[in-house]
This record gives sequence, C-alpha cells and structure tokens, in this order.
Amino acid sequence: MKKISIDPITRLEGHGKIDIFLDDSGNVANAYFQVPELRGFERFCEGRPVEELPRIVPRICGV
Amino acid sequence: MAKFKLAQYWAASCGGCDVAVLDVHEKILDIAEAAELVFWPIALDFKYKDVEAMEDKSIDVCLFNGAIRNSEQKHVAELLRKKSKVMIAFGACACYGGIPGLANFTNRKEIFNTVYKETLSTVNPEGIFPKTSIEVPEGEVTLPEFFNTVKTLDQVVQVEYYIPGCPPTPKTILNAIDAIVKNQLPPIGSTLAGKKTLCDECDRKKEERKISKIYRSHEIIPDPEICLLEQGLICCGPATRSGCETRCINVNMPCRGCYGPSDEVSDQGAKLLSAVGSLADSNDEEKIKEILDEFEDPAGLFYRFSLPASLLHRKTMKGD
Ligand code: SF4
Ligand code: SF4
Ligand code: SF4
Repeated sequence: MKKISIDPITRLEGHGKIDIFLDDSGNVANAYFQVPELRGFERFCEGRPVEELPRIVPRICGV
Repeated sequence: MAKFKLAQYWAASCGGCDVAVLDVHEKILDIAEAAELVFWPIALDFKYKDVEAMEDKSIDVCLFNGAIRNSEQKHVAELLRKKSKVMIAFGACACYGGIPGLANFTNRKEIFNTVYKETLSTVNPEGIFPKTSIEVPEGEVTLPEFFNTVKTLDQVVQVEYYIPGCPPTPKTILNAIDAIVKNQLPPIGSTLAGKKTLCDECDRKKEERKISKIYRSHEIIPDPEICLLEQGLICCGPATRSGCETRCINVNMPCRGCYGPSDEVSDQGAKLLSAVGSLADSNDEEKIKEILDEFEDPAGLFYRFSLPASLLHRKTMKGD
C-alpha cells in the first residue's frame, strides 16, 4: 500500500505526524495520527516539593 | 542588505522558546526585516524533506530549542547542523537539558511505567508500551526511539553559541539578534547573556550570609528589599548567570537557575551546594546538619535546569 507521511505536523504546539495509507485505487484505507513526543513529567515531578511544581509544570506547554 | 536565513526548531521543549521570540513585540518586525525564515514548525509549513533538500550550510543561523530526548530530535539536530553555518542552543532545554532534563533522575523504564501504566487516569490492562515500529494491517508505522538519558544539544552536535533562559528574556533575544545582524558575535562557544552571576545583577541588600533556618517558599513572605538567601529561602543566584534582569527576584521569588551556570562556574549544582553548605549560622556540626536537613530535594533544586549538562549527567540506576 502507498503511504503518505505528513511529518512534522506544523503550526501547532507539540509534535505529531500522520501516516496515511492508500489502497490500489488511491483511496484512503486508513490513517494513523501519532505523537512522537514524551518528556515524562508524570514521573520526574514525583519527589519534588509540592510548592516547586508551579515552577516546573508550566514547562509542559509554554504556548 | 540581504536577509540572513533563519531556522528555528523545537526538540524536547514546551514551545515557550518559540513563543519567546514573539514576546519581543513590535521588534519582531525588525527581525522579519533582517531574517528570512526557512524552517519553523510552530509557525510555518515546512517538512523535514524540505530541510533535507537544502544545500549544506545554506541556513545562516539555526535557533534550536529543546533537549535531545529521542532519536527523531537527534536526527533533526544532526540534519540542521549540516545545513546551518551557525548553530545556536536556544533556551535552557537545549543549553543544559532544562526541565525535561529532570528525567535524568529517573530512566526510560520508570517513565514508561508511570506514564503508560500507573497514573490513575491510565487504563492499560494489556500493558502496551510505545514501540519504535509496529505492524498495522496496512503496513508499518514507526515512532522515534525514546532514549534512556536526556542530552543537551552540544552533547549531540557542535554548537557555536548559547542563549540561556527558560525562556530567554526579550532583551536577551534582541541582543543576540542584534549581534547576529551586525556581525558582532563574540568568540565561538560564548553564551549570549551576562558574564557574572545573578547576585551581581541583583540589587537586594546583602549583608552577612548566615541563616539559622531554611524556609520553603510557601512558609514566609520575604522582605522585598533584602537578599532572599539571607532570609532563609534557597536562591540559585550565586551560581546562575546574569542576564534575566532578575526576573523572579523582582516578584519576590527565589531564582531557580534557568540561565545556567555563570562563566566562572562549571557545575551549577555543585557550586550551589557549596554556597548553601557554608550558610548555616553555627559552628556546631549537629546544629548545621539540623538546619540543612530541613532542605527538601536539594538535587532537584540545584540541578533544576542543568542536570544533563552537569558532571553528574544522570542518576546512576540499576539495569541501565
Ligand atoms: S527552555 Fe523553557 S521555555 Fe524554552 S522550551 Fe525549554 S521549557 Fe520551554
Ligand atoms: S541570592 Fe538571590 S536574592 Fe540574594 S543577592 Fe543573590 S540573586 Fe539576589
Ligand atoms: S531569576 Fe533565575 S530562574 Fe528566574 S528568570 Fe532569572 S535566571 Fe531564571
């Protein structure tokens, strides 16, 4: 199957890509949206003093 | 005058560095006058293949923000390095690892477990974790490899200049752009901000730096005229580079070190540790220990923005 990749997705905050698969007649058979980005705030915020979190979590998204 | 070709990219970042460039307000028009943007995913629709098609060294300046956390970011860093004459690490994440660099206190396995299994809002009974490649009925889809360790940009490619800050202030950015436009960049390897420490830039009253108690920031409202460290609030000013115009201090909050180490400091956290260690107002070892014991999470505070760039680089963990 033919695959069209839109990589990266632009004009938004964050990272994403779309893979579109086309069947033999050129119609969309399926499309996959993927977020290739992970930093792990869920984990590395653990163990930090709670009053420090307002100075850490704004960096999840700065847009 | 011919415009210089400018690229901007974000790796493991929050987008704040991209937006910071817009925070220069109407001066953005001067930047637009001087620069032609050839790649900037947050704002313009160029793809990786457009960059691949460019001639080597055809981009004059690349402002690269974000740390290197996965194989896609490493690949794009290498690609942009090849295409750019001058590579600039932009913001704390690219320069020192930044907040995403706190992940070097943990590892890939723990992060995957927490994110994809343990958080209360996650339902994943089959224990599915991201894979670099999966077969789907139509073919194959791929994801970049999530590295075990976060790296700074200069641990992956050669970097000519550093613009620190989380994010850099408008003044820091404009000074840097001005130096680029006027062809007045300092020697290669320089950091485009102050040279001294934040304490040198801070105009709070400093007397004798001795403290009998360390406070957490929610426990007191500090006097706005007096050095925060002297009031018992841990402030990273003594080891942090000047240039932010004491942004946090101005709102009565202690510095957390986002401008990275100053010129004379090689390891920000180690320098802070020794600075704070000598503060305790006592000669009695027990008493000193008592004062310092109240201090929560020293490593996470002293290396808040710079763990990947530090001598420690990461926490050593079994099985890594
Ligand atoms: S340095 Fe700060 S503002 Fe810039 S991308 Fe990293 S977290 Fe965001
Ligand atoms: S420790 Fe903090 S508050 Fe005190 S002088 Fe230095 S920057 Fe200012
Ligand atoms: S005071 Fe410290 S944490 Fe705040 S902006 Fe300045 S360098 Fe960054």
